[in-house]
Amino acid sequence: MKTLVGLFLVLAVLVIVPAVEYAFAAGAEPGEYLDRRVVIWNLFFRMMTIAFVVGAVVSGTIIWQVWRFRESHPKAKPTPYEGTDW
Amino acid sequence: MAHSNWPEWIYVGVVIALMCWVGAEAWEAERLVEHVPEGAEIIKVTGQQWFWTFEHEDGTKEIGELHVEKGKAYKFEIHSKDVNHSFNIHDYVVLMDAIPGRVNTVWFAPDAVGEHDIQCREYCGLIHYNMRGTLIVEEPHS
Repeated sequence: MKTLVGLFLVLAVLVIVPAVEYAFAAGAEPGEYLDRRVVIWNLFFRMMTIAFVVGAVVSGTIIWQVWRFRESHPKAKPTPYEGTDW
Repeated sequence: MAHSNWPEWIYVGVVIALMCWVGAEAWEAERLVEHVPEGAEIIKVTGQQWFWTFEHEDGTKEIGELHVEKGKAYKFEIHSKDVNHSFNIHDYVVLMDAIPGRVNTVWFAPDAVGEHDIQCREYCGLIHYNMRGTLIVEEPHS
């Protein structure tokens, strides 16, 4: 449990705090207007990056599971309810 | 059978971290976009079937055309006189509903001289397709 708390603390420091600080600094620069096109497209591309990474990880995990836990895998072990006669 | 579940905890941690990341990015972008700069000139935008009317701070009114200056920030106060419309300047990613009985706001700062389309993006009746206007960005006067 302590490890988990530590993990989330590290995540908070690495991800959330800088994002919050950056957000609260919005508009502090005098005479410079942000370009909403840039902000919105940046968000879009970052979201696409996240979406494709998640998609790759999830589909990769499923493919690995199917490959690893097939009956013909050299290290396959029968589960108790399947019996042991193979 | 005793087994270790640390991969599951790592998986849960990664999912939560990704959700925090997505949420923070989206929240930050929204905050940046919604933060109206000080000194932005207010332009009252009225939508009605089937044209747009604009009123500048000095009282100047325009119909179907909107003249603004390059490099200045403008805050639109958008409302409707009849049915729901949606005020859209596609080239500047400005999009906000015009709703009877309430004022919605959105801001932008044109960065180049030019002409851009203004259009209604909420079906509002027979001539909705032609509820258009022109945004004319000019060099600063002073």
